[in-house]
Amino acid sequence: MSAEIPKDSWSGTVRTVTLGATPAEGGTRSHVVTVGGQKTLPFMHFEQVAPNRPVVAVEIKDRCPEDWSPLLLEVWGDAAISPAAWAKQAEAAGAHVLVLALSLTGDDGKPTTPQAAVAATKAVLEASGLPLLVFGPGQAEADNELLVAVAEATKGERIALGICEDKNYRTIVAAALANGHCVTARSPMDVNLAKQLNILIHDMGLPLDRILMDPTTGALGYGIEYGYSVMERLRLAALQGDAMTQLPMIVTPGFEAWKTKESKVGRDVPEAWGDWRERAITWETLTAVTLIESGADIVVLRHPESVRRVRQAIDDLMTVPETV
Amino acid sequence: MVNHMAEHTVTFDTAPQPIHVPTGTLLVEAARLAGVDIHQPCGGQGRCGRCAVVVREGTVRRRSTLRLSGEDVANGYALACQSVVEGNAFITVPPQEAIERRLTTDLTAAAVAVPAGYNPTQAQTVQRVRLSLPPPSMDDQRDDWSRLQTTLRQQAGIELIRASLAQFQQIGRALREGNWRVTAVLDADAWDCPGCPARLIDLQAGHCPEDTPLWGVAVDIGTTTVTLWLVDLLTGQARAQVAEYNRQITRGEDVISRIIYAGKNNGAVELRDLVLETINGLLETACKRVQAQPADVVKATISGNSTMIHLLLKVPAESIRLSPFVTAVNDIPTLTAREVGLNIHPEATIDCLPGVASYVGADITAGVLASGLEDSDGITLFIDVGTNGEIVLGSRDWLVTCACSAGPAFEGSGVVNGMRATKGAIEEVWVNGATFEPTYRVVGGGKPRGLCGSGLIALLAEMSLTGVVDKGGNINTVLPTPRVRLGEHGPEYVVAWADETAHGHDITITRVDVDNLVRAKAAIYAGFTVLAERVGLPLETVERVLVGGSFGKYINVEKAVEIGLLPDKPWDCFHFLGNTSVRGAYLALIDREARARVKAIAARMTYIELSADNTFYEAFTSALFLPHTDLSRFPSVQAVP
Amino acid sequence: MALSGIQIYKLLPQTNCKDCGFPTCLAFAMKLAAKQVELAACPHVGDDAKAQLSEASEPPVRLVSLKSNGYEVKAGNEVVLFRHEKTFYNKPGLFIRLRDTESPDEIKTRVAAADGYKVIYVGRELALDGFAVEAASRTPAAFSAAINAVRQISHRPLILISRDPAIMAAGLRLVDGERPLMVGADAANWQAMGDLAKQHGAALAVTADTLDGLADLTVKLKDLGVQDLVLDPTAQRLGASLALNTQIRRLALRKNFRPLGYPVIAFPGDADEPAQESILAAHAIAKYAGFIVLDHFAPETAYPLLVLRENIFTDPQKPIQVQPGVYEINNPNADSPVLVTTNFSITYFSVANEVESSGLPAWLVVTDAEGMSVLTAWAAGKFDAERIAKAIKTFNVADKVSVKRVVLPGHVAVLSGELENELPDWEIRVGPREAVDLPAFIKQSL
Repeated sequence: MSAEIPKDSWSGTVRTVTLGATPAEGGTRSHVVTVGGQKTLPFMHFEQVAPNRPVVAVEIKDRCPEDWSPLLLEVWGDAAISPAAWAKQAEAAGAHVLVLALSLTGDDGKPTTPQAAVAATKAVLEASGLPLLVFGPGQAEADNELLVAVAEATKGERIALGICEDKNYRTIVAAALANGHCVTARSPMDVNLAKQLNILIHDMGLPLDRILMDPTTGALGYGIEYGYSVMERLRLAALQGDAMTQLPMIVTPGFEAWKTKESKVGRDVPEAWGDWRERAITWETLTAVTLIESGADIVVLRHPESVRRVRQAIDDLMTVPETV
Repeated sequence: MVNHMAEHTVTFDTAPQPIHVPTGTLLVEAARLAGVDIHQPCGGQGRCGRCAVVVREGTVRRRSTLRLSGEDVANGYALACQSVVEGNAFITVPPQEAIERRLTTDLTAAAVAVPAGYNPTQAQTVQRVRLSLPPPSMDDQRDDWSRLQTTLRQQAGIELIRASLAQFQQIGRALREGNWRVTAVLDADAWDCPGCPARLIDLQAGHCPEDTPLWGVAVDIGTTTVTLWLVDLLTGQARAQVAEYNRQITRGEDVISRIIYAGKNNGAVELRDLVLETINGLLETACKRVQAQPADVVKATISGNSTMIHLLLKVPAESIRLSPFVTAVNDIPTLTAREVGLNIHPEATIDCLPGVASYVGADITAGVLASGLEDSDGITLFIDVGTNGEIVLGSRDWLVTCACSAGPAFEGSGVVNGMRATKGAIEEVWVNGATFEPTYRVVGGGKPRGLCGSGLIALLAEMSLTGVVDKGGNINTVLPTPRVRLGEHGPEYVVAWADETAHGHDITITRVDVDNLVRAKAAIYAGFTVLAERVGLPLETVERVLVGGSFGKYINVEKAVEIGLLPDKPWDCFHFLGNTSVRGAYLALIDREARARVKAIAARMTYIELSADNTFYEAFTSALFLPHTDLSRFPSVQAVP
Repeated sequence: MALSGIQIYKLLPQTNCKDCGFPTCLAFAMKLAAKQVELAACPHVGDDAKAQLSEASEPPVRLVSLKSNGYEVKAGNEVVLFRHEKTFYNKPGLFIRLRDTESPDEIKTRVAAADGYKVIYVGRELALDGFAVEAASRTPAAFSAAINAVRQISHRPLILISRDPAIMAAGLRLVDGERPLMVGADAANWQAMGDLAKQHGAALAVTADTLDGLADLTVKLKDLGVQDLVLDPTAQRLGASLALNTQIRRLALRKNFRPLGYPVIAFPGDADEPAQESILAAHAIAKYAGFIVLDHFAPETAYPLLVLRENIFTDPQKPIQVQPGVYEINNPNADSPVLVTTNFSITYFSVANEVESSGLPAWLVVTDAEGMSVLTAWAAGKFDAERIAKAIKTFNVADKVSVKRVVLPGHVAVLSGELENELPDWEIRVGPREAVDLPAFIKQSL
C-alpha cells in the first residue's frame, strides 16, 4: 500500500526581513538576523526546507520593572537594574535578538525623557552585538516622542521600532523611513486588520521588507486560540499570494503569559495549579511553541529557562526528519 | 513617423482663431492657449470625463479613454486632459449638459411607465360601476340591499357583494339622494379570497362622469423615508409621487430602536400614529397636486420592511429583534382603511404586501417583483441600499436573500450634513487632485443645503482618490488646504463654504461621517459576498446587478465601485432602479397578476441568516477599508492613476 | 467532495413543500451542505440523489472511542486541517503511562494522584482521561498485576502496550467488557493482534515508522475485520511528528485515502528530557493527535496542557469573546471613571486600546453580551440596563470607586433612563459613540 505524500505548492513566499546592520552595512551589530522567506506552511521541510529559523527575542527594560513577576525579577537579579547588564545576560541566556521595552516613567516617577530613552538604547547597543528592537511605552504621545529620538540617535542600526497601531503609525513609520529602521505593526487578532495596517504603512512608502507584523496573541488560557488561528490564516494568505500578508510575524508570548495570574502569582492560588515556577515557565513555553507552530517568526520571551526550552524546540522543528 | 519638433494647427470651434502648438501638447493646454475654457472638475486626472471634446478632423493620441465607450472614441470623443496633439486638428467642445448625458456610469432610475399592454379592466380588481335601480313601490317591496344586489347582477354582471355595517347605514340615503341612480365602487377579487363575493367600498348618489379618476395609492414605508404614489386605477398612471422622512425617526433611527420604543408604555400607539401622520400628510400633498380628496382613494397597497408593517398595524414587533428572529405575520390578509387608520376612504382596501422574514420584508419582495429578478435567466444580484441593506441573489430557478444593518447614512441620515435627495442636495462631487478644491452638482441647481446619498458616495470616492482620506478612512490632516481642518468631531473636510450654501453654514464631512459611510458600504458589500459564498457561487458568475434604494435619483456606479459599495464589474452589468419597493407596490396595486406574483416570490425566497456564524463579520471587517482590504477584488480601482 | 447548497438543491425535488421543516428546498439543501440536518428529513428525495448525497457525507477520519465503566474517550471524525476552517471536534485523550516494572504500590500512588486530579478553568472542570499500562517486564504476570493495580484505583479507559500477543491477551482478559486500545500491531504480530482485537472488541493501534508501513497494516487489519484502528507513526521529535501527522491528516482529508483515515496516537513521554514532554504534548494537541500518552504527571504541567486542549478545541465560529469582568486600565484608583462595554473582543480591544494609549486610568466593566458588539448586542437584547446593572453589582464595582458614576457607550444612550432605575445610587453618563472619542470625553466631561 503506497501513500503518495500530498505536497502543497504555493504561489507566494513570505518576505525576508533583516534586523540589525553590521559595521559594513552602516551599523555596529556583530551580525544580522534574518527572518521569513518561507515557501511552505511552518516546518513542512518535505516540501521545501525553510531558509530561516524562528527567532527568540528576549525582552529587557530600560529600568527595573517592579510590576513584573517576582520569578522574573529573581532570575534576572541585579542585571535588571541596568539595561547594559541585562542585555549581556539576555544574550548569554540564548537570545537571538533583544527587545528593549521603554518605560512610561523613569525612576523619579516623571515621564521618560527622549534623552533617557536614547541613553538606554545606546547602552544596550554597546553591551551586546545582537540586533535590537525598541518598543515604546504603548501610549501614542510618549511612543512618538521617544521612538523618534531613538530612531535618530541610532540611524543605520536597522533596529525595529514598535509598536505601530492603526491609530498611531505615521510618526513611527516616518522615523523608520528617515533613519533606515524597520517597524513592527500590531493589530488586534484579526486577519483583515493586520492586513489593513500593513497596507497603510506600506502606502507611506516603507518597503515591505522593513515591516514585521504582530497579529497579537492571547496567552495560553487567555485567547491563544485566536492568535493561533489568525496567524495560521495570515500565513496561508501569504502563501496563496496575498502580498500584504507576506510579512514575517512577531508575537509577544512572554508579555502575554507573564501577565496571567497563573504565571505572575504564587500564593493563594488553587492547589491544582501545582508548582509555581514550573507552571509559569510551562505557561510561557507552551504559548510560544504553539505560536511558532502556527507561523511565528519571532517570539519575545521573558524567562531564561523558557528561552532555553523554546530554542531546543526550534532546533527540533528545524531538523529535517529522516522519515521524509 | 511623428516629427516631434513639428508645430501643429489646432482649431477649436468656440475659439476666435486657430493656435499653433508643438507635438505632445495636451488638448486642455491647447484650449487654454486658444482662450477656450474646458471644465475639469477632477483636476485633469482623467477621472470625471467632464472634459470630453470631439476631434472632428486630424489626430490626437489618447493616453486614457477611461469613461469613454468604444463608440464614443469611434465618434471622435477624447478626454482633453488625457489627449495630446499629434497633427493638425479641428476640435468641437460640446456643451456641458451634452457631456453629462453621455457618461455611461451615471445611472438614472427609469421613469415610471404604465407596463406595456396593460389592460386595466382585466388587471384591476377595483371596479366602478354606474347603476340605475328600479325604484321601490307597493308592488316591489324588496329591501334596498336586495335591490342593489339584483341590479349589480343584471347591470354589471357582479354576483354577490359584501358590505360593512357602516355602509348599510348609508345605502338607503345614497339610493334615494341619487334618485335610484348610484355609482358603486367594488373590490371584486381579493388575492386572499379568490372567488369570494365582491366587497362594496363606496356607494355614491348619482352617476359620476366617466373620466373622473378612480384613485389608489402605492406606499413604501421605509425606516427613514416614506414614499407614496397616487395612481389613477382606471388608467394605471401614477399621477403624483411624493416622499418625506418617516416621522417615527424622532423615536429612533433604526428598526431596533423603534421596536424597543414600541415595547414601552404607549410606544406602539405613538409609533403607529406617527407613521399614519406621515402617510396621511403625504396623501394630502399628493391629492392637492391633482385636485383630489384623500377620501376619494379606494385602494392602497403598502410595502415596507417587516418592522414598519408591524408598527403600522400595531402588531407587536418584539419577536423580530430577539433570537430566533421571527415575525408575528409575514403575509397579512387584506384590511380596510378604517381598521388601519389611514385617512382615505374608510372602506378602502388596504393590501400589505408579503414579507419573507424578520429582516427581509415586503419591500424586498416588492423590489424583486419590480426588478424582474424572479424571471431572469442569468444569475442576478439585487441590492437594496437602505437603512437595512437587503440583498437578493438568484434567477428563475432559485432565490436567496439576506439582510444586513447598514444604517441610514446613504439616505442622508446620521451624517452631519446629510439630507434626502431633494432640492438643494449635493448629488455629485468631484475633488481636484492637485488643489483639493471640490466641484459639485446640486439637485434643482440652486445653492446646496447638504449631501444626499449619491453625493456622499461621490464625495467619499473623490476624497479617497485624491488622498484626502487614506484607505482606512482617516482624513489626512497635513494636506495643504484650508478645507481640511479640525472640527468639533475631529478632522473634517469642507465641501461648501458658508457663503455658497443656502443656509449660510459650511457643509462638511467629518471623520465620524466617513466612518459611518464606510461601515454602511462595508455591511452591504459583506452582505452580498457572504450570500454568494453561502450558495457556493463566485461573484463573477453574476450577470446583472440591480441597485435599488432611495439615496438619490441616480447613482454613479464608478464611484460606488471606487468606495467598495458595489462589486467591481463592467459598468453595463449595473441597472439602477431607484425605489423598487414603491415600484413593486405600484405594480401590485394596478395588476392582480403582479399581486399574485409577489406572493409567489415571497414563498420561494430562501432567507439566509448572516449572523449564524463568523463569516459575515469577517467579510465586514475585510470591507471596512477603501475600497477593500483585498485590493485584488477591485482591479479597476487600482488601475486609476 | 463536499457538495455546495446549490449542487444539492439540484438533486432535490424543488417543490418547496416544507415537509422537511424548512421553508424552501434551497434552505434545506444549505442545511445539508452544512451537515446540520439529515437527508432522511426529506421524504421525497429520489434514490439517485440519495446515493450521491450519502457518499459525500462519510467521515474522512474514522471515529474511534475507548470505553470503560461509563467513561468514554473519542478521537477522529475530524474534517479540517485548520481549526478556523470549521472546528476541531474531538479533544485528544490525555493518558498517563505506567510500566509494569514499577511496583503495584508505586503504580497505585501515581494513578491515584492523576485519577483524582481536577482543575477548574473558566467554570469548567478539567481532568485527565485514562491510563496506559506498558508491559515493560515482558511477563504476563507483571502486566496483569500492573493492570489490576490501576483498576483498583481508577476506572478510566485504558491503553495496553505490548507487542507480544500472549502478554496482551493476559491483559485483555482483565478488562473484559471494556473497549481498551491495544498498542500495538506491527508487521510481525498483526494477525494475532488483529484476532485479539476482534475477540475483545478492542481498538488497535498499528505501529510503523513509515506511512506506507502504517497503510499496509491498516489495510490488512481491515480485511481481517478490525475497524477501530489507530495510527502510531512513532515519531519522537517535534519536526518529524509535525510532518507525519500533517501528511496523515492531509491524505485522509484531501485525498480521501482510507488506509490512513484513522486517529493518531502520540507518546510525548518518549522525549529526551522531561521539560520537552509538555512541549511535545502541546504540539500533539494542536497538530492532530487523537490519543496522547504522557510519562509524567504533575499538576503544573497537566493544567497548562488541559487548558491548551480546551483552547484549541474551542469552536472558532463563535464570536471572539473576552471574559466578562472589571478590567484595570493604567492602574486606576478610586477616582477613576467607570466605563462599560460588551465582551466582544474587537469591541473590548478598541475601547481598551483607546483608553490605554491615552494614559488615562479607568475601570472598564465588560458585560456578558454573548460576544456581540454594542449595537448588535443591544439589538438582540443582550446589552440592556438589566445586564449592565447586573455586571456592576456582580463585579462589586461600587467597592472600587469613590464616585458612583458609570459611562455608557453613546450608541445606547437610550438605556440611560432604565439604567438609572436599575442603579438608583449611580450617576449614569452617556459617553461618545466611538471609542476614539473616549479620551477627550474623559478629559473634558468627567
